[in-house]
Amino acid sequence: MSWPKLERRKAALVASRDLRDAVSELRLIVAMVGLTLAIPIASASGVRALAAFGGGTAVVNRLSLVGAFFVVFIPASFSLVLALESFVGERERTTLEVLLSTPLREAEIYAGKVAAVLAVSLTLCYGGLIVYCLIAFPGLGYFPLGILLALALSTICQVAAMVAGAVIISLNARTMRAANVMASFIILPMSIVLQVEAALILLGRADFLWAFALAMAVVAIVLLRMGFSGFSREALLARDVGLRNPLRRARRAVRASFETRPGIFRLIWMRRTPMLLAAAGLPFGALAGYLAGASNAVPSAVMRPVLASLIRSTGEGGPINEVATVFSHNVLAFLLVAVLAITTAGLSGFLLTFAPGFLLGFAAALSSWTLALTGIVPNGIVEIPAAIIAGGLAIQLGAAAIHMDARGGWTDRVLAAFADYVRALRWLVPALAVSAVLEVFIG
Amino acid sequence: MLEVDNLAKRYGDVVALRDLSVRVEEGECLVLLGRNGAGKTTALRCMAGVLLPTAGTVRVDGIDAAEDPTAVRARVGLMPEVPGLYERMSARAYLDHFGAIYDLEPSIRRRRIEELLETFELTDAGDRWLGTFSKGMRQKVALIRATLHRPRLILADEPTSALDPDSARRAWIYLKDLQKSGCALVICTHSMDEAEQLAGDIGIMSGGRALAVGNMVELRRHSGLKPHQEVRELPTLQDIYLAIVDNEGGLHRRELAETRTA
Repeated sequence: MSWPKLERRKAALVASRDLRDAVSELRLIVAMVGLTLAIPIASASGVRALAAFGGGTAVVNRLSLVGAFFVVFIPASFSLVLALESFVGERERTTLEVLLSTPLREAEIYAGKVAAVLAVSLTLCYGGLIVYCLIAFPGLGYFPLGILLALALSTICQVAAMVAGAVIISLNARTMRAANVMASFIILPMSIVLQVEAALILLGRADFLWAFALAMAVVAIVLLRMGFSGFSREALLARDVGLRNPLRRARRAVRASFETRPGIFRLIWMRRTPMLLAAAGLPFGALAGYLAGASNAVPSAVMRPVLASLIRSTGEGGPINEVATVFSHNVLAFLLVAVLAITTAGLSGFLLTFAPGFLLGFAAALSSWTLALTGIVPNGIVEIPAAIIAGGLAIQLGAAAIHMDARGGWTDRVLAAFADYVRALRWLVPALAVSAVLEVFIG
Repeated sequence: MLEVDNLAKRYGDVVALRDLSVRVEEGECLVLLGRNGAGKTTALRCMAGVLLPTAGTVRVDGIDAAEDPTAVRARVGLMPEVPGLYERMSARAYLDHFGAIYDLEPSIRRRRIEELLETFELTDAGDRWLGTFSKGMRQKVALIRATLHRPRLILADEPTSALDPDSARRAWIYLKDLQKSGCALVICTHSMDEAEQLAGDIGIMSGGRALAVGNMVELRRHSGLKPHQEVRELPTLQDIYLAIVDNEGGLHRRELAETRTA
């Protein structure tokens, strides 16, 4: 994965201009200072008041962490507004063409704009966090440095992910109104991310927060990379204001994506790299599951009900019913994997083989490999290759979803990868039916 | 300096430009005339290395715009039709910002900015925010910005459309001085006065094509117009332009009618 060349001084010029613009608006400054000072002071005062008026230590300690999360989160939301405005705002104010006519490279313009938004947002986040810590913690007898550092790092990554995503929207939207509507693509996933983060903070486990920060860093890098690759002067100066007859165009695009696609054997050969990745998921999952079971990293008390529920889910009421249940579960899993591949960058494709491998390894750790393997023979002979093919195609679909190209064609690439998946289902679904029969009648 | 060969540009299904070929040497000026939507702005953007051609080539100073657009943009000064200024920046800060982008030394850009602000009578307004400037003042700032780094090729889209006659004359003198110093100019305009003042060659465009390119004598011959009989006066550029565009329109209508009949 190569990053485009850029001259830092040039990117800094773009960033300094945008920063100057952001801080020259008095109303914005008032809002920023208000958020950086008023909310942290109010939150910290609340924590101190609770401590002074007899709140239990555990409650006060937890509340102080939630307060820190709250103080950091609200200014971070500012980044979304500023980032959404970065390109589409210039386009609406007609200043974009001038910027694009300079010798600045695409990467310099993009990096400068992202840096300006990050600078404002992180100043607000960290300013607020420092003010909060200075008021809330002195004399409290509790200062969770590890969690606060992990929170600070995950904030950078979260803001970077949000900004990178918003800049991609800003690059592709024609008007500020459209950009605001499209912002829901960021707000909805981010609301889930924030709930997860809040839960981790309440658990009080710094190690989980570090892992969370790492995951957010990966997301931010992927989104930044997408933004760099998808930056196109052509698209920014294009005159279209939206698609006419969107349904008809979508129908045509879907039909076109199904034409001239390769047959199943050629497809497997063409997609051998993602399929090898998917194939690797099974042994890696088995190894991880075995280690998790043997070392008790995941308590067997947690996993036993999962394994039991999987066995129960084969259904009751005769072999035909069992075949139908196994078959429908597997088909549902294959369909979900394809849909999720687009939003998980293909991770769901890897999990399609990794997760069963993990369960197999875990079961082996609790009993033996021989016993565990009897659970997947003979149906696995058909089911595992089907899962590898589906997993590989889902990884390809995810890769197409995160691959941006300045020449455009994102929709075509994703539709082609999706068409490959759907066409492969013509072979995979019968394979799953055979596998279900084998599992119930011979397994 | 500028070599354009068989340049074509499509936006999706729309053909904005087709088969445009022009040459502009150092110290020469080409004026592009044409109706709205004739493809002039797209041609300028392709020449500036902002848009990549769908077909054909654009070379500035021997550099292919498709191969090294950054180097082309460094040699070109583009003045779009809309000035596109940052409203919350003073004229001095704005010009300084663009001077820095074009790698001008701070002392040189300060000196040039002051000289040019004086040339365009903007010295006193130099520290005001650009948002408070009139339309004409904005156009002057845009012209200064496009020429601040002394580009080898200036591409200007209606550079004096918002200027009063006196300021327009001042701008023409300034552009002619740049031309004399070896700079090549391509100017799009609807003003026949401006075209006659500045042009060496004139290109008349319609429907994304150049209908005719040449100097006044060549265009007059192309148009088929004779001197006015009564006063033996040569046809003006306005007459020539209308004759060429109308001929093309008539031809187009005839072609359309023939297609329908067939």
